[in-house]
Amino acid sequence: MTVNLEQLIKEAVEKALEGDMDAINNIEDRVTRSRAKASLVKAKREATKEKTETSLDENSDATSDSKKDKTSNEHISELLIQQFPDDINKELSSKKHIQIQPKNWLVISRYLRDDPASLFDSLQCITGVDLGEESDLEVRYNLHSMTHLHAVEIRISCPRNKAKVPSVESIWRIGDWFERETYDMYGIEFEGHRNLKRILLPEDWEGWPLRKDYEVQETYHGIIVPKVKEGWE
Amino acid sequence: MGVFENKFQDNIVVASLDKLIGWARSTSPWFFQFGLACCAIEMMATAASRHDLMRIGMIPRSSPRQADVMIVAGTVTLKMALRVKKLYEQMANPKYVISMGSCATSGGPYWQHGYHVLKGVDLVVPVDVYVPGCPPRPEALIEGLLKLQEKIQSERPLTRKTA
Repeated sequence: MTVNLEQLIKEAVEKALEGDMDAINNIEDRVTRSRAKASLVKAKREATKEKTETSLDENSDATSDSKKDKTSNEHISELLIQQFPDDINKELSSKKHIQIQPKNWLVISRYLRDDPASLFDSLQCITGVDLGEESDLEVRYNLHSMTHLHAVEIRISCPRNKAKVPSVESIWRIGDWFERETYDMYGIEFEGHRNLKRILLPEDWEGWPLRKDYEVQETYHGIIVPKVKEGWE
Repeated sequence: MGVFENKFQDNIVVASLDKLIGWARSTSPWFFQFGLACCAIEMMATAASRHDLMRIGMIPRSSPRQADVMIVAGTVTLKMALRVKKLYEQMANPKYVISMGSCATSGGPYWQHGYHVLKGVDLVVPVDVYVPGCPPRPEALIEGLLKLQEKIQSERPLTRKTA
């Protein structure tokens, strides 16, 4: 008897799923009818769950594929190579940064801020790097876009004895203090900056403290600055 | 004191003027707040209600002209050293300096590699009491202040110094 009932319910549900609700409604026994209806709901729920799972899988596959292909650095690098073919140093660029020649940096930075594909409205950080006593100095810019939520790192290197990089203080206003600090510590001149002077150290300080070849001054306004501390460590 | 003995009524106290001045100076040394780094937090804690510097007569002042003691609390950079000196010179005599913490005393952790740090505030101004610690606890600072009070008390401003 029970076997028959279950088979009856199963057949009715199958018919109902195909669109024929009468198969369930015509069941005379009330208990059996409600059991059939419950299993119909269950079947429908499982069907939709499977569907969403498969569709989610497809979506995640699609996004991860596009991300696997290119980092935002590479993506922006391609855009820049189309616009400014001579200014991008392709060999020195990598997945994590874009190496740029200093000459047209002001134009490139304006393009990066205003172009709808990049829209870098936020300059997050400027870092100065001394690559060693024999090598160049480097400036690194971290840009972020609030609209696209992507970020890039731009690197510009310049020779030690003639360290000059165009200023982006007029593009991103925050660059004012960032560039003054980089100038203070590394002596990199930002051409076009409207108020380029030391920001942390006193204005009559000698030398650029974070360069590798920096030598501590012997006296400052008559105060002796001891250099080597013997018998320490 | 034999001269004055039994010459006055009971509520008059007789003392030597030197000691009297010493007592007055040592029991109300108002201090000039000079919070330069983390030592300033301990200095504030010392002045606040738990340790209460007011009970030994010390009141924080924000102007060098109203202060007797300068507590140099924290790292003195070379940029600041010139200002420390200038502010010390603006204080009225008699004036005293307390070097609080290892940075103010010797440069502390910046002893070897801090190109911008003054290696001891005594290179710029004369220091009366050094309080060691990084930073010193309020108890340590109070100990230093009591030592300073002893020093002020023992001074004889009116006695002619003989060679």
